[in-house]
Amino acid sequence: MDWTRFFNVLIDGIQLGSVYALIALGYTMVYGILKLLNFAHGDIYMIGAFIGFGVLTFFGGPLSPNLPLAPLLILMFVVAMLGSGLLGVAVERFAYRPLRDAPRIAPLISALGVAFFLENSALLLFGSQYRQYNGFDLIGTGGFFIGSVKITWINLLVVSSAAALMVALMLLVARTKLGKAMRATSFDREAAAMQGIDIDRVIVWTFFIGSALAGAAGVMAGLAYSSIYHFMGFTAGLKGFAAAVVGGIGSIPGAMAGGLLIGLAESFTAGYMNGTWKDAVTFSILVLVMLVRPTGLFGKPEIQKV
Amino acid sequence: MRRALITVAVAVLAAAAVVTAGVAKTVELAAPAKTCTNASLGLAAPVTGPAAAIGQEQLHWAELGLARYNTEHKTTYKMVVGDTQLPNVAAAINVARQFASNKKIVGVAGPAGSQEVQAFGPSMTKPGIGYVSMSATRDDLTNGQRPTFFRVVGSDDTQGAVDARYALRTLKADKIVVINDGSSYSVGLAARFANVAHILGADIDLDEITQQQTDFSPLVDKIGNDVDLVFIAFQIASQGQTFAQQMRAKGKSAIIFGPDGLFSSDFTFEGAYVSAFARDIHGVKGTAALIKAYEKKYGKFGTFGPPTYVAVQVVLGAIDRACQAGAATRKTVLAQIKKTNLKNTILGQGIRFDANGDVLGGVFYIYRIVNGKYQLVFPK
Repeated sequence: MDWTRFFNVLIDGIQLGSVYALIALGYTMVYGILKLLNFAHGDIYMIGAFIGFGVLTFFGGPLSPNLPLAPLLILMFVVAMLGSGLLGVAVERFAYRPLRDAPRIAPLISALGVAFFLENSALLLFGSQYRQYNGFDLIGTGGFFIGSVKITWINLLVVSSAAALMVALMLLVARTKLGKAMRATSFDREAAAMQGIDIDRVIVWTFFIGSALAGAAGVMAGLAYSSIYHFMGFTAGLKGFAAAVVGGIGSIPGAMAGGLLIGLAESFTAGYMNGTWKDAVTFSILVLVMLVRPTGLFGKPEIQKV
Repeated sequence: MRRALITVAVAVLAAAAVVTAGVAKTVELAAPAKTCTNASLGLAAPVTGPAAAIGQEQLHWAELGLARYNTEHKTTYKMVVGDTQLPNVAAAINVARQFASNKKIVGVAGPAGSQEVQAFGPSMTKPGIGYVSMSATRDDLTNGQRPTFFRVVGSDDTQGAVDARYALRTLKADKIVVINDGSSYSVGLAARFANVAHILGADIDLDEITQQQTDFSPLVDKIGNDVDLVFIAFQIASQGQTFAQQMRAKGKSAIIFGPDGLFSSDFTFEGAYVSAFARDIHGVKGTAALIKAYEKKYGKFGTFGPPTYVAVQVVLGAIDRACQAGAATRKTVLAQIKKTNLKNTILGQGIRFDANGDVLGGVFYIYRIVNGKYQLVFPK
């Protein structure tokens, strides 16, 4: 057994899983509060990647940036998260709020409409060419070794930023007033409203935070995998959705675990079998989990009152 | 209820993906005229999409070719541009159908990619439209099943063999990993390279990616430190660049070698080798004025543009000869394309076709990227 290769593939899987987990969190937060599958979420991730790229290009591009690396990276993340967050809020305001009391299929179709609107808007705005972050030119190919296993600075940046964002989200949900309002709204929206919680405000914050996380994931994907394009949100969104469902949709720890599981499955499939099999394996896991545990790994069964 | 909703959602998304894949964009530069001398040429190229860098260059050289031909021959031929959005085969099929239904189009330059040629086949064969590709190299495109297809560049049979010989004999690579991107162009080329390299004595490992993939890290992990060379038979240059960067980040020092698909401004990985179906025409006798005119209007270019200029010359020449013989119909133009005999072109060689549409004497060249620039290393 080549353990160096094993751990390299493991690190790649954790990095990819971190990106999927951040996307999955947006799906799961919105579903937890609104019982809505926000299929535009993958495209908000794509827009986040383009916003980050826009900031990078504005400051000179990866080869000759005219800002020091750390402030540039922080600016890329902050602007992408803000932009994506505001886009998420706009999507909620104009595409979902008017349909809040409509049958559940209506906002679902609206979500698909928004997804295609965003993809085609990106096509018109940015063109259909692949854009290159060239993250290895920006950050460098260096890193450090644990034994014979190399961990690049990009590995470290992606995984540590994703972990920090996930911990921040957990703290926000568990320890703040807004988090308490989110949990209450998720548990019973009407009862929460009767307790004086401003439901609209909670929903707006949920969309903002979920979309901001997707924006951060977009920047991470750009830095780690370089190529971004207008249709990138479709596949990534499906993977994020699969991760949320595998973990138990509506469950924040579930989304994190689901993202990591899907990322690791993809990585080990590509690393030990063939890259063309990875999607088949990913969605087979989804089907398998649904068959064995329909609520997902961390999901709880809904109690139907009769 | 929740499971049913998720199932419906996944099904709707999959259906939507299929519908979206069929979206094509066709750009018409000028309306076709009615007279013989105003017959139209179709240009099929990836003007947008991941391969737009080469498509734009092809479009510009086609525009220049058309303008020059009309000026020199006092004709007023028009060009209808179809955007094939490589690797979106559905878009190529739409373009082929639009060309077939446009009766003014009597001959086509393009398409660019091998899978696009396969997609064009049915729409071109039935109405008998001659189509001349400027960059499709897959070997079996000229196996006799596409009687109206021609190309002005060599085939992957030649490219795979030239690249493999260079990899083994000049670069002294013994252990080689060959990766294809699943496209019909890439699979055939990778197989040809691997076969020749194996026959010449190399130890070959094969792998595969998809054209949507951007994370190659696990694949790079698989490539051992004892590998001398990785042949990435990719069609999309930006994928090649990302793969090479991920190789470097993982500390892998194997030589990166790519085919004509990577010959683009999107692939600038230092020290990599890339083959091309055409030489840099800057060194070809008699091209200085043309290069000056092109660069003044469009800027720098690579090797995908000049063969497009030649393909346009071939089709317009055929239309012109058919006109002089009586009428430029699809049938007469096709017959004239078969008889093409350009003594000299800007590619530094003449153009004649064999019975299957292959150019006679197709040559491949190998470049090395040094300081971000492509330098010819073979033939010297």
